[in-house]
Order: sequence, then structure tokens, then C-alpha cells
Amino acid sequence: MKKIKSILIANRGEIAIRISETAKKMGVKTYGIKTSKEPGAYYLKFMDEIIDFTETISEIPEFLDIDRIIFAVKEYDIEAVHPGYGYLAENPYFAQKCIDEKIIFIGPTPDAIYKLGNKTIAKQLASAHNVPLLEGSSGNIKNVKHAKQLAHKIGYPIILKAASGGGGRGMRIVEKEEEIDKMFRLAQNEAEKSFSDPSVFMEKYVRNPRHIEFQILADHHGNIIHLGERECSIQRKHQKLIEESPSIALNDELRAKMGESAINIVKASKYRNAGTVEFLLDEAGDFYFMEMNTRIQVEHPVTEIVTGLDLIEWQIRIAQDEKLGIKQKDVKLNGWAIECRINAEDVQTGFTPFLGTIEQIQIARTKNVRFDTGVAEGSNVTASFDSMLAKLICYGDTREKAIQNSLNALSKLYIKGIKTTIPFCKAVLNNPKFKSGDISTSFIVKEMKQSFHQEEDEELIAAFWAALNHNIQLDIEDEKYVDYERGKSMTPWLMNKRLKSL
Amino acid sequence: MMFSKSKKSKQKFIACTQKSKKYEFTNPKELYIKQGKENIPIEIISDKQGLVFIIWKKKKYLVDIIEKNQNQYEILVNGVSYPISVESPFSYKRRKYLAKNKEISKVERIQAPMPGKIVEFLVEENQEIKVGEPLLILEAMKMQNEIVSNIQGKINKINFHADDTVMKDDILIEVEK
Repeated sequence: MKKIKSILIANRGEIAIRISETAKKMGVKTYGIKTSKEPGAYYLKFMDEIIDFTETISEIPEFLDIDRIIFAVKEYDIEAVHPGYGYLAENPYFAQKCIDEKIIFIGPTPDAIYKLGNKTIAKQLASAHNVPLLEGSSGNIKNVKHAKQLAHKIGYPIILKAASGGGGRGMRIVEKEEEIDKMFRLAQNEAEKSFSDPSVFMEKYVRNPRHIEFQILADHHGNIIHLGERECSIQRKHQKLIEESPSIALNDELRAKMGESAINIVKASKYRNAGTVEFLLDEAGDFYFMEMNTRIQVEHPVTEIVTGLDLIEWQIRIAQDEKLGIKQKDVKLNGWAIECRINAEDVQTGFTPFLGTIEQIQIARTKNVRFDTGVAEGSNVTASFDSMLAKLICYGDTREKAIQNSLNALSKLYIKGIKTTIPFCKAVLNNPKFKSGDISTSFIVKEMKQSFHQEEDEELIAAFWAALNHNIQLDIEDEKYVDYERGKSMTPWLMNKRLKSL
Repeated sequence: MMFSKSKKSKQKFIACTQKSKKYEFTNPKELYIKQGKENIPIEIISDKQGLVFIIWKKKKYLVDIIEKNQNQYEILVNGVSYPISVESPFSYKRRKYLAKNKEISKVERIQAPMPGKIVEFLVEENQEIKVGEPLLILEAMKMQNEIVSNIQGKINKINFHADDTVMKDDILIEVEK
């Protein structure tokens, strides 16, 4: 077995730093890519060597430029590439190109990436290996008779959706057979009116589904284990915002059943390395395979906290052909972990990206707090990249304690200069339904009256701060103004105000 | 923290929120907030890193001025944004008077919340719109963002077309209330 000695981290932000930390621990040399869009980026401080991509040589964004990355790996004689998430992480062509060039791609085989990335093939694999799927019509519904037959086969409730639709229009939920005649016509009419296309298709309707995903590790020697589940039901427009492990919705029996299904998908696709199998779970405890993500995921830390395993380390060890030393029975989920995504978004105006400079960022780190950040003081948030800045992961013996620790940590996470999702995360964690574990993927839409948390006197404090600053501003503008601080108790915010007024 | 005492013995400031709620402060530099008949002191702490906190009634608040334009302030308290306009008793009266006259016909401008590219407009000129109605799709940070209306009215003018690139605060749509 040959150990990997050097890795190119073909990514940026917090995940580049995360990978570098494990690499450092394992004695692996790291190479990072410097781009013209953020030449002074924080992640570059963590790399042993920096490869300069600041010169623009093509239209392709740096982290997607396969030829340029491969060329750099050869030029610097680097042994392996870690793609992180996004960018080239799930590009089978890139993984194949690495193999062709005798570079170790830290991830699954190109064949597995391709098969699982193709929805049709992935679903065929699942159904061939007894993994439950969300059933639906494979095309448009011809007539009422057809609709009845299909609905009978799928089982009620079902949902009719406009083929050209979106945004909730042209959708009808049908609870029982007596309704289907009427609902089918209504859906058709609505589809015709809204989209000038009457075609509708049918799917099994899952009421208040939860998003449950299983973390998988598979080596090159046929050993496969799952590391339990993560629940990622708190999402907005399919963007996950808060994740936790384990899930309150699973007991040992269901965990074993879902874990087995996840492992079946891995076996069927001959999957290697770390991966995630995503399911929808309904109120009755029935689950349906959605897709498999063939990469390390943003929310991997919650699994690391409860299992005590370093997933990046295992990705590297599997890539260098090591055997999984852990058996399924050795995997124990201890306590509870919750991850809050800290994004540069204005939660008061529909989560629009907020651009600017992070003037200051501070966190109180304790033993129950892990903070994976891609930014530091002075970092710029630009429109070139994703809005996720950092992840706050908190541990507790119980879910209740993990929530409490998260709220404590959020109240001591100070970011100055930009707006973030911190007030949103606080609102979720304070919500009684979230606390009781009664969540689903429609939680934000259904249960949150306000998308941000406010303390009682915040508006009063804001009003006072504005009045005080305005008062000082007027004094400065006033000729009769005297130098009141006598050079002694000058504070940064006062100095700042003064400089701005010059 | 020390401040010079102003020559004027009493300086009154009226801080108005977006929802026209008003808070009155007399001599804010004396660092207290009056509640009922009691003056409750305020403490301001600024740490070495430049963070500023207000401590009031044993509670700590992170404060930050995220935007400022004359007497218009956007204050972040614990990360939550509060747009505040600070008025003197005189300017407050004038503002109220002007607002009354303006109510008959008022043009509101909908500005771009961030720089980006317009994917498409979902509304047309002369169309009546409601609060919360999607107006356009703006692409930034590789995400398509739906810009929704925060006012009710009739669209007077649309200043851009699909595929146009806009800067932050560009006036996208003018709405007659």
C-alpha cells in the first residue's frame, strides 16, 4: 500500500480548509489554487503550496477548468486530487481524466459517478435492488381512465402536476378515488390556463416529508458501512440550512432498514469512497430513495461529531487502498450534533445574497462548538461565489442540549459588516415545533411566521444607536465642536465616524 | 466613554422606524434610555477588534451601522436590520406634513438589492401589483433570486430589460401607490 504524500485541493472556502486540516494531520502536503476572483482568500493561508491561476487563460472558471487542473497536477508532481463538493466533485469526465493521467482522484469511480448522477439509471438501480422509490407516471396522463389506473397502482394520496408548470400552479392533491375525475379535469384546466399546455403527470404524494440521508463509507475490498443518518428537513427552495444527526424520526429498527437500503444502492453501483444516499421519509415511516450524492457533503461534520470519525481522513485512506477497519457493529451514534449554515444572505428580504466586506468575525469556541469557516476578518463576499461563509456545529448529549448549545454559540457568534443567516438559525432553534422535533421539508413555509429571531428591545437599541450616532455626527459638523475625547478614550467606531465625515 | 456636553441644554431626537413607530431620546450622549419615569443607563463597550456592544438592562447587544445616508441609518442589532431615520422635533413635524400631502400620489422605486443580471421580468408596465407579488428574477451568486414587491400599486415604468446587468440600488421599477 502506497501512502498519498501530496494532494491538490481543487476547491475554495471552508471545505478547502477542512481538507487541508486533515491532510496536515496525516502528514500529506497540500496544494491550493489561487484565483483572480479572490487572490487574498483565507483558505490560501492553510495550503503548503499555492498554485497561481490568477492569469485568465480561458472562459472556464478556475475550479472547473479540467485541463488546467490536470496540467498543474502533472507540473507540480502532485499525487492526488480532492475535489471537495460542487465544482468537479461529481464530474465523471474529470474522475476518468485523473485515472488516465495516473492521478489519484479522492472519490468514487467515474462509472459510479455517472450512473448515480443520471436520475433514470439511479432509479433503475434502486428498483432492481429492492430500494423503495417514489412512484409516478413515466409520462403525461392521457385521460381520466388512465389517471384512475395509475393512481390505483401508486396508491392514494397522489399529486397531479402540470408538465410545463412550477411554483405550485397546476398542482392538485388527490386523497381518494372519488375525487380523481374532478381533480384531473381541474389540473388540466389550470395547466392550460397558466401554461397554455394541458398535460399533467402524476406522482405519489408524500405528506410532510422529512429529508433523511445516510452517510456511507465503502473501500476497495468490498467492505461497506453506513454511519447513520442526517436529517436535513430545514430547507428553503431545496437549499439545506440546518442539519442534524441523528434524526428524531428514526428508531434503531428504521435506521437498520434504511441503512440496508443505502448499502444496497452502494453495492448495486459498485460505489467506493464516501457518499450519501438521500431519502424522503413520510409520516407513516415509509421511505423513498431520492438520489445518491457521490461526494463529501457540506453537512458531513454532524456525522463526524456523533461517530467520532474523520470522514476526510477516510476518503484519503480509502483512496490509497486501505481497508475499512470499522465494522457496522462498531459504529455508534453518540449524543446529538446540529449544524447551522452561516450564509451571507439577508433573511429579512427573502434570503437575497448580501455582498460586502467582513469587518470582523468572532466566535466563542468551547468543547461543544466546532466552527468550520472559509472567511476571516477582511474577507470579501462577492457575487462570484456561493453565499455560504461558515458552518457552526454544536454538540449535546441530547437533542435538547444540542439545540441549547447551538443557541448559546449563535448568540456569541459576532459578524460585523454584512448580514447573515444567524437571525434565521436562531428563529428555527427557538421554534417550539422544531424543538419538539415536529419538522418536515415544508417547515419554513408552514411553521415560521417570521424568518428571523428578534429580542424584545432590539428595535429600541437600534433607535438609540442611530440617535446617538446622529447626535455625534451633528456635533462634528458643528463648528463649535470641541475635541471631547482628548485623545484618550478614542474608540474605533468613533474614529470610523470621524473619518467618514472628513 | 465620555462625550462633550452640548451647549444646547436639551437636544431631542426622534428616531422613526419603517413602520412609523417613533422613539424619543433627549441628550442621547448622556447614555441612558428613559422607560416610564426611570432613566436606565446604557453602557457601550468596543473591543480591540472593533466590535461595538451596548449593554442595557443586563443584556448585551451587538450593534453595527451597515448603511448611512444623512439622517437615514440602517442599524444591525444582533444581526437583525432596523432602518431608522433620525429627526429633530422640527424636521419630524415637517416630515409628517409632507407625508400627508404626498399620500395622494406617490411614486415608490423598487431598487436592485444586489448587483446581478436580470433573467426576466414577471410583470408589465401599467400592471397592478400586490405586496409579496414576484416582480422579476435577478441572477447573482449563481442563484436566481425572485424579487418580490413590498408595496401595492400600479407599475409606472420598468427601467430595464431581460439580460441587462444591474448594479446594487439601480431603480428597476417605479410603482405608483
